[in-house]
Amino acid sequence: MVLIFSRSGRAKVHGLKSTPLNEYVKHILASPYLYRSFTKLTEMATVKEQLIEHVMKDEASVPRSKVTVVGVGAVGMACAISILTKELTDELALVDVIEDKLKGEMMDLQHGGLFLRTPKIVADKDYSCTANSKLVVVTAGARQQEGESRLNLVQRNVNIFKFIIPNIVKYSPNCIILVVSNPVDILTYVAWKLSGFPRNRVIGSGCNLDSARFRYLMGEKLNLHPSSCHGWVIGEHGDSSVPVWSGVNVAGVSLKNLNPDMGTDKDKENWKEVHKQVVESAYEVIKLKGYTSWAIGMSVADLVETILKNLRKVHPVSTMVQGMHGVKDEVFLSVPCVLSSSGLSDVVKMTLKSDEEEQLRKSADTLWGIQKELKL
Amino acid sequence: MATVQEKLITPIAGGASEGPRNKVTVVGIGQVGMACAISILLRELPDELALVDVVEDRLKGEMMDLQHGSLFLKTPKIVADTDYTVTAGSRIVIVTAGVRQQEGESRLNLVQRNVNIFKHIIPQIVTHSPNCILVVVSNPVDIMTYVTWKLSGLPKHRVIGSGCNLDSARFRYLMAEKLSVHPTSFHGWILGEHGDSSVPVWSGANVAGVNLQTLNPDIGTDQDKEGWKETHKMVVDSAYEVIKLKGYTNWAIGMSVADLTESLTKNLSRIHPVSTMVKGMYGINEDVYLSLPCVLNNSGVSSVINMTLNAEEVAKLKKSADTLWGIQKDLKDL
Repeated sequence: MVLIFSRSGRAKVHGLKSTPLNEYVKHILASPYLYRSFTKLTEMATVKEQLIEHVMKDEASVPRSKVTVVGVGAVGMACAISILTKELTDELALVDVIEDKLKGEMMDLQHGGLFLRTPKIVADKDYSCTANSKLVVVTAGARQQEGESRLNLVQRNVNIFKFIIPNIVKYSPNCIILVVSNPVDILTYVAWKLSGFPRNRVIGSGCNLDSARFRYLMGEKLNLHPSSCHGWVIGEHGDSSVPVWSGVNVAGVSLKNLNPDMGTDKDKENWKEVHKQVVESAYEVIKLKGYTSWAIGMSVADLVETILKNLRKVHPVSTMVQGMHGVKDEVFLSVPCVLSSSGLSDVVKMTLKSDEEEQLRKSADTLWGIQKELKL
Repeated sequence: MATVQEKLITPIAGGASEGPRNKVTVVGIGQVGMACAISILLRELPDELALVDVVEDRLKGEMMDLQHGSLFLKTPKIVADTDYTVTAGSRIVIVTAGVRQQEGESRLNLVQRNVNIFKHIIPQIVTHSPNCILVVVSNPVDIMTYVTWKLSGLPKHRVIGSGCNLDSARFRYLMAEKLSVHPTSFHGWILGEHGDSSVPVWSGANVAGVNLQTLNPDIGTDQDKEGWKETHKMVVDSAYEVIKLKGYTNWAIGMSVADLTESLTKNLSRIHPVSTMVKGMYGINEDVYLSLPCVLNNSGVSSVINMTLNAEEVAKLKKSADTLWGIQKDLKDL
């Protein structure tokens, strides 16, 4: 009897007389299982099989602190690299519409795997790769051209969000959405409406960056590290943000007490200029290098850290402020918020001067004026 | 009327503050330079960062963008200028300036253009930071490190090429994926030329000290049924692939340079496969730079590990050395 094994692994038998018993034997010999056991005895185990013995029952592992970044432009990638380098997540997913760039960015980050503590980095145009995210950072959308105001970007970005937000919700129904795209206060409102999420799970990066810039400039003026200079910029992330001068302090010493003219036009030291520089920062950097990325990326990673690590730090971020400071409409503005793993759980009630409250209400009116025209 | 600052603060230590102790300069603020900068800043390595380039607007914009993130960093001073005086007192200078590969273009094609750029850059760096360690990233890195060494007049242990640090990182990532372990748990070295003719040292590849070549003697050869050689090929093709997809590479090289910077600034004496002067080793008689496992600390390359390479691997190194010298000897005015 001769057994001839074909490429598919089935054996053909030759030289066996045709009897019922022999037909049965032929049937057995033709089984693919026979080939597999046969080759296992003679074939070399792979390097992996020789090296590693698998000792547990395989179960699908679900990430515990997965972050998705939507949009792999300069801002999205700056957020990604800051989040990765700060070792905040066990899985990072990237989504965008441009497939080549998306794959290239994913590969470039993966190639740095030796230097990171994020074992899984995935990317796809299809939102299924974002499933089970704890936090989704939305940076997608059009960005300001030189001289263009953030409010000008609205309708274009609303249309993009109509595609993005439902997809995020579909695959991560329990996530926290962190909106970065501009105009951030309006788009956070849009994301909140489109997602149907409770308001603690939709946060706008808001004035986190403005306050960081304020504290940096304040530090430069006083020759101190920004983390020792305390100052809050609230309200609209944009031209009409509000610097709360009464709260500006170093080691609890109120600077406004030392200089009562601070923040006014009478101030000889012209501290008002510091806030003006904050407002103009983005325009300036855009004029010089075409866009901003690093600072916003780092400020987003700061928020991601507080949320994923459940730190309950207070950050100036954009939330629904209807009913606060005399605001009557459903608008999102930045106020100091307590952030945790549930998202935005509490708001710190600032004591504002009447002119500061007036500025907030004015921002709220401007934003509502635009929001009520939006087709959602 | 006293200023807010005067009312708030009573100075104690008189006199000017000391200069920086761990200043890092990045020359070239393209994608690679900025990726190096952000990785180095996020790892909190320098107490001062300087950026230099020729494009003034973009340089100022990048500097401001980084400064605006100061609240989140531990680097109190970030400066930038087209004038090299801003780089004075640097401990480490990372050179990323120069032209980069277009799609499909080999690194060796960039040589003469980058030599001309370096003739302008290197002497100025050395004037303002005569005690620095130079880390060359610009491609073709092995040749540009040689050029830098020649132009700087610095001793060879203070001129390092980023070399195969990235190739080895990619190799470890790809191999580890195949074995389902973290890259740090797979050990493997790629040496020689950073580029198409790099040498994977299969004899050293191991996990937990278990040598893979002992498990599979065909590993890395054409006879290997498991096709492990393909992994090295993927490493060589990596850069071309990413360039084809996104136009350039930056994040991985930025992270790998920050890794080198960490060993140098923190005096760690870790071993990295970086480009160093290999004349006198492995039968190489010319002044060429190739990647070998180097011990890096705050003096630069303090020593080199004597790899046990087989005859074929030594031959490949020698061949790379010959190719590189073939190009180097024609370079003008070094």
